[in-house]
Amino acid sequence: MADYILFAVVALSAAALGVPFLQFLGKRGSLPGYLLVVALLAALASTILNAATGTESSAPFGALLTSDQLGNLFAILTIFVTLFVAAASLTLIPSGRSSNSPFYYSLLSFAALGMLLISYSADLLMLFVAWELMSIPTYALAGFQKNKEESNEAAVKYAVLGALSSAIILYAISLTYGLTGTTGIAAAAASLGSQLSDPVAGIAVLLFIVGFGFKMSIVPFHMWAPDAYEGAPTPIAALFAAGTKKAGFVAAIRVVLAISTVYSLTPHGGLFTIPNVLAVLALATMTLGNLAALTQKSMTRLLAYSSIAQAGYILIGFVIYSYGQGNAAFAQQAEIGMTGALFHIINHSVMKGAAFLGAGLVILKLGSGSVETFNGLGKRMPVTAFAMAVAFLALAGVPPLSGFWSKLLLFTSVLNGPYAWLAVAGVLNSALSMGYYGRVIKRMYMDEPEGESTRVVEPISFVLVLGVLVALIIAFGIFPGPVISFVQKAVPALAGP
Amino acid sequence: MSYVLSLLILLPLLGSGVTYALSSLGAGRKSAPYLAAGFACATLLLAGYAFWSVYSSTPALGQYALTEDHPWITLPGFGVDILLGLDGLSAPLVLVSSIVAVLSILSSRSLIDKREPAYYALLLLVEASVMGAFTSLNLIVFYLFWELTLIPMFFLIGVWGGDRRKYAALKFIIFTFAGSAVMLLGFLALYFGVSPSTFDIPNLVGKIPTGLQYLPLLAVFVGFAVELPVFPFHSWQPDAYEQAPAPVNALLSGILPKFAGYAVIRIALGLFPQAAYQYAWAFILVAIISMFYGAVVALLQSDLKRMFAYTSISHMGFVLFGAFATVASGNPLGIEGAILLMFTHALAVGGLFALSGFIQNQSGTRKIPLLGGMRQRAPLTAALLAVSSCAMMGIPPFASFLAELMVISGGISAYSSTAITVLVPVITGGYFLWMLKRVIIDPAPQAPDGSKAVVDISRGDAAVIALYLVPLVLLTVFSFVVLTPAAPVAQWTANLLHGAVHA
Repeated sequence: MADYILFAVVALSAAALGVPFLQFLGKRGSLPGYLLVVALLAALASTILNAATGTESSAPFGALLTSDQLGNLFAILTIFVTLFVAAASLTLIPSGRSSNSPFYYSLLSFAALGMLLISYSADLLMLFVAWELMSIPTYALAGFQKNKEESNEAAVKYAVLGALSSAIILYAISLTYGLTGTTGIAAAAASLGSQLSDPVAGIAVLLFIVGFGFKMSIVPFHMWAPDAYEGAPTPIAALFAAGTKKAGFVAAIRVVLAISTVYSLTPHGGLFTIPNVLAVLALATMTLGNLAALTQKSMTRLLAYSSIAQAGYILIGFVIYSYGQGNAAFAQQAEIGMTGALFHIINHSVMKGAAFLGAGLVILKLGSGSVETFNGLGKRMPVTAFAMAVAFLALAGVPPLSGFWSKLLLFTSVLNGPYAWLAVAGVLNSALSMGYYGRVIKRMYMDEPEGESTRVVEPISFVLVLGVLVALIIAFGIFPGPVISFVQKAVPALAGP
Repeated sequence: MSYVLSLLILLPLLGSGVTYALSSLGAGRKSAPYLAAGFACATLLLAGYAFWSVYSSTPALGQYALTEDHPWITLPGFGVDILLGLDGLSAPLVLVSSIVAVLSILSSRSLIDKREPAYYALLLLVEASVMGAFTSLNLIVFYLFWELTLIPMFFLIGVWGGDRRKYAALKFIIFTFAGSAVMLLGFLALYFGVSPSTFDIPNLVGKIPTGLQYLPLLAVFVGFAVELPVFPFHSWQPDAYEQAPAPVNALLSGILPKFAGYAVIRIALGLFPQAAYQYAWAFILVAIISMFYGAVVALLQSDLKRMFAYTSISHMGFVLFGAFATVASGNPLGIEGAILLMFTHALAVGGLFALSGFIQNQSGTRKIPLLGGMRQRAPLTAALLAVSSCAMMGIPPFASFLAELMVISGGISAYSSTAITVLVPVITGGYFLWMLKRVIIDPAPQAPDGSKAVVDISRGDAAVIALYLVPLVLLTVFSFVVLTPAAPVAQWTANLLHGAVHA
């Protein structure tokens, strides 16, 4: 039912537009944060209701939005992510009289609205508007600590590259419109499929991959990510990794993978096909991400690179899915691969969310984000250390935690067929990643704290947020069945040859 | 459907939680060993019952007793079942693991004196995963339990270990995680290669086309080779064994390598018989190199624990040798010997490592040149060391002798040139006797800080060590207890290969 989506849009818009007035009423404390949490809970409830009532309607709002399971999945996920980011911000973002907390939460609400609309977009122009609605507030959020030099640098770098990627997407949209005469995604994809001979179609697809690739932070479009993650306030870094990145993925699924019925980017087939391009990107992304993470001295940079590496695993599912678009024999594997990719997108949000928020609390309480700060954390901040350890093990793919199952589906789906080498690379990369995850766990539980070793108070609201995330990681690991079958329903149907 | 096997996994798991909760909250941390021992003993009883079920009604060739099937993930196009079952291969390993777990907990009592609740909880967690790995007949569930032993073991080494524990723990987790990841690749490759797609071992047997056997066999072998370990995949092992706390060694060196030995027979031979047959000579070569390498390098060690670690490499080479000898020749003797050897090695090496912990406590060192004169200073320890060493060397009346004999005979029936392996027990005997001479008989070296009185091992702890040895003596006479159930498995594996090869 489209009414539920409308309700979520209204709730988030109301929060986004209404909360700034608190600034003028002098309510700069945590009230704006609580209001946003309420709005997000309302939006979350209505998207869940939309998923539960389950009636797919393809053309609400004049065919600009589509109320399908894929949209529901990403809407629920991104709103949930914004919710825990907002809840953690109550602790991590100073909310004194001089702060501008109403604007902070308003921007966050705009970003959530953008992500919600991207999830349901069925039209390229709608997608672009929603994309900007998500991106522009996050440029400001990245630089929100205006007295901090790194925060400003992060914001500028992110804004410049973000604007570039938006321009690229817009250009791709205009090429697509020129070729097909429509901005409806489904119609454009079908029409492009019949224009195989036109090289412009190939260019349009590549430009989409590049443009969305920035937000997905896949190599070589990842350069902004480590700086932005490190400079931005930590909850915003969590939003980048767990939220806006996922919006990039849903946009890529909606557009690139729908168009991948085109399959070959050049008129006469050959090596230059969409799955091949994605496969090379996947290999580069996971390998470079993991290698770079091994050498990081700052926890947020380490998490940023690990987040890049995880995007590489997710792309494996995209590879086999787009390959399955052109080969009926691989339809089953394509479906399993896409299920794995979507499940890993969910898991990554939860795992990375826990890791970033834990790191944020450490930075707030101990004043430094270098990896040495984490020495002996198991004694000083036991809840945070435990949450981070569980998140790290899940990110490495240790069973029975959530990340294991999604990686299992991803690797199994490609092991038969021409992309088996991607699974080999993925498994070796997982082993490599244990090098840095294991080292941090060693620091937290086996090394002695440097300097002070007193117990640090962990705020109860924060413990609650971490507790929910850790519970999800473990629950998805031990009872993966329900969530995987929910995810599988969201896999878009293959176009068929 | 019986629930014996799930109970076997859940009981130590529950024990882990209860032990941690009770001893860190109400009962006090000194109660942890007793709580943990209680749960481990209950598990032992259950394991005894499970073993008896297999022994009394030997399952038909290729069949399992006490099977359970709990669907876990059922999707259109993808499924994982928690499929449990026990046969003559896994039943002895389940039994010996639960014995070793009890003894390991008992010998921890006087060797571990910090953060007991977490220590015993992790130890029971390892036991639960061990039970799961030996009983699961689904590749994914097997992998899951295999991995699940590594994480608690990482913490056990890294928190309670020796001076270089952090380095050893990290090296351990990185090597074994990488090895098992490659192994997982071999499992996953099968899924879409067979029809109908499945991860259940009984349904995979005989279904895998020969062309799909080579690379997965190589991948799983890498995983097993790291875990066993065999040369040249062993570099993590001496560090991990040396730095782990002595009672944990009993599990780390006594049980974990048996996963790999078990999996070689169950998975490498059971699922990939044609490929294994073609390259049996290569695997036997690797095994023999490992046997000699371990024995010769053990000769050069000055630390007791490192010496035992290399001895383990040598013995695990025997297991691999025996398994592949059966592949090559069709003579079931090799696998029977390998199963018996896994049983005896677990107990012998567990006792020796535990003893090394007590020696370290008494004398402040495990360096063989710095020890000495133990005959006068600590006669009870000396006696136990001598007897346990005999068990490890394979001197009658210990059943290790019988096991090595069976493996070597099985090997000779495959390739007569492998008779050269009779030299390995000779070398082993040589360095153990040399060690015993230096530690027990030679006079004590001048201690730099004057004479530090050495306290002998307490009677209670001595009894624990003795308990490691008793089953070994009994097994020499009653070897049929293990060999009767093992024989059908060995025969089944041999038939599988030689039925298939000649077809």
